[in-house]
Amino acid sequence: MNLLLIFSGKIVIFISKILNLGNGSTWPGHIAFNINKKFLKDTLEKRKFKIILVAGTNGKTTTGKLIQTILEENGKRVFQNDSGANLVNGVASSIIKNSNVFGKLNYDFAIFEVDENTVPILLQSISADFVVCLNLFRDQLDRYGEVNIISEKWKRAFSKLPKKTKLILNADDPQIAYLGEKARNKTLYFGVKTSGHNTFEHASDSTYCPRCTEKLDYKNITFSHLGNWFCPKCLLKRPVPDMEAFNFYPLPGLYNKYNIHAAVLTSDSLGISNEKIKKSLKNFHPAFGRQEVIKFNNKSIQIFLSKNPASFNQSLATINKLRAKHLLILLNDRIPDGRDVSWIWDVDFENNFKNFKSISVSGDRIYDMALRLKYADNIRVKTYEDLRESVEKSTKALKQNETLYVLPTYSAMLDLRKILIGKSIL
Amino acid sequence: MKSKNYTLTTMPYSLTIGWLYPELMSTYGDRGNIIVLEKRCEWRGISAQVVNLDKGFNVKLFNDVDILFMGGAQDLQQKIVSDDFSKEKTKAFKKVMDWGLPGLYICGAYQFLGKYYKEANGNVIPGLGILDLRTEHPGEESERLIGNIVVEVDLVGLTPTTYEVEERKIEEKHIIVGFENHGGKTYLGENLKPFGQVMKGFGNNGKDKTEGAVYKNSIGTYLHGPILPKNPEIADWLIEKALERKYKKKIKLKKLDDFLSQKAKKVVLQKMSSY
Repeated sequence: MNLLLIFSGKIVIFISKILNLGNGSTWPGHIAFNINKKFLKDTLEKRKFKIILVAGTNGKTTTGKLIQTILEENGKRVFQNDSGANLVNGVASSIIKNSNVFGKLNYDFAIFEVDENTVPILLQSISADFVVCLNLFRDQLDRYGEVNIISEKWKRAFSKLPKKTKLILNADDPQIAYLGEKARNKTLYFGVKTSGHNTFEHASDSTYCPRCTEKLDYKNITFSHLGNWFCPKCLLKRPVPDMEAFNFYPLPGLYNKYNIHAAVLTSDSLGISNEKIKKSLKNFHPAFGRQEVIKFNNKSIQIFLSKNPASFNQSLATINKLRAKHLLILLNDRIPDGRDVSWIWDVDFENNFKNFKSISVSGDRIYDMALRLKYADNIRVKTYEDLRESVEKSTKALKQNETLYVLPTYSAMLDLRKILIGKSIL
Repeated sequence: MKSKNYTLTTMPYSLTIGWLYPELMSTYGDRGNIIVLEKRCEWRGISAQVVNLDKGFNVKLFNDVDILFMGGAQDLQQKIVSDDFSKEKTKAFKKVMDWGLPGLYICGAYQFLGKYYKEANGNVIPGLGILDLRTEHPGEESERLIGNIVVEVDLVGLTPTTYEVEERKIEEKHIIVGFENHGGKTYLGENLKPFGQVMKGFGNNGKDKTEGAVYKNSIGTYLHGPILPKNPEIADWLIEKALERKYKKKIKLKKLDDFLSQKAKKVVLQKMSSY
């Protein structure tokens, strides 16, 4: 029967591509699931390849792509679920898409990026070889609930992991690091070496001890609640990282250091030498919307997906370092963005706009963003109700060597790419 | 520094905003409410100072503030705050509220002012008991009340627009918008006035069409968004009450350019009217 599901799924993908309805990243899996609830278990039980799950609020897609690049550059055959299609139906769709007509998956590795709520559900039906946990930030509270609730769910799911599963955890995120404390599994930690400041940004969660709930102290903070933490009461502290610096970074931004360390540590534990990892990362291209550069009307646009306070703050910090002059912010409130836009008030816009020549906003909730910026240092912006107009006018105003930096939420990023490239992704 | 000295000498009025547990009770962009209060004072030449009332704060500080604000929280954080409210602190808090200290209490803070919160598993957590209201979570199975919300607000002192058409006198009340997200359902005691009537959305419990509660000059509400940026009239109501209480006279606030607030509010209203 599963062979039939795979075959019919492939037809769905084919049709949806022809009609430019998207890549068929979720529908085929959705249909397969409705017919056979055990579709994943059945198709993956006797697999010959290894599965790597990548989870966390921010950085899943980039980390998945980093691991994919390293593995493929080293001769491994890899398949992935499509970025953003990170619920169970997206994982199932990727199996359908990558199976041959005999229902076989001829690969060495599968990398699945997984939505926070999907981690426990997916772990019930598949046994992963690696689970990479990046971070947990305040994000889409209308959909995910609070950070504590998610980490509690993960903790329960991890207590049932088979012994062979290796955990790759962020030592700098207290809630994530604590997942390794009790697990029976082999656990490796990554972090980022920092020195200096220990003051918080506004949008910080998890600053309480995951074991005894005392307020945590930090020797250093990298950003948000990540850093070298310890509990003054029960003495729980950041585990010593197995990896906290690397000699080559294909992407700028402090947040990408974490993603890169996670990918390097995973590859390293698969026996790939640091020299080979470095060499393969030279061929890395950013995932769509994640620092991706697109030419439009002969001008450069660089997209920094900014979907929650932590990622928005990091985008602002990174583009400021890149000496950005022209900025376009796109705020939507559809389901993939989170319908509640309150989070923009947790972003530290204040004092971050001194060097900009032009700031424009668009998207479904354009006036919420314009209002937020007005209350931050009285920043005046250009408002465009029409997204296409916002891109065309903003790029037109650029000098030849200037770049338009675009910070969109998730669905706005998809809409933007459709305008820039002319076809939809999902 | 220079501008600060300048403001000190020329601003005739000043207000102190007390922010209760800014670290513990702060989710969903709650900080936006503080920013709006601060800026709307500043833009009118009223000097505004924000004082953080953190865990272990001195009870006497209740007497030094002109406006109180408290936001929502995760369960763990709320427990820490609950432990911090000694009998003495609760008494002092109630006293200033009785005396008309203006305050805004969002979501978890609003529930906390009531008699109790009954968790999904039936466990009852006592509240401060300052307001005659109770909140109950109907159980794990029941859906959270999530979504955009439109409320018609009836606040004393928030002047309604009135006009007469022939014999009929028409009153247009204030319409405000926000985003609610709560598992608990709140029921008001007989003598407690709701903050407003639900036009679209759920409000206190999804049934009786009430939203929030008003006691003297304190507002408890489920509205995130945050509430104040898109509904600046509520911010101004709090500022006006605070000035009146502090300076013992009515002080008329200067009008501000709220073009963007109105536009942002309209987007939500349009969204909701299409449902």
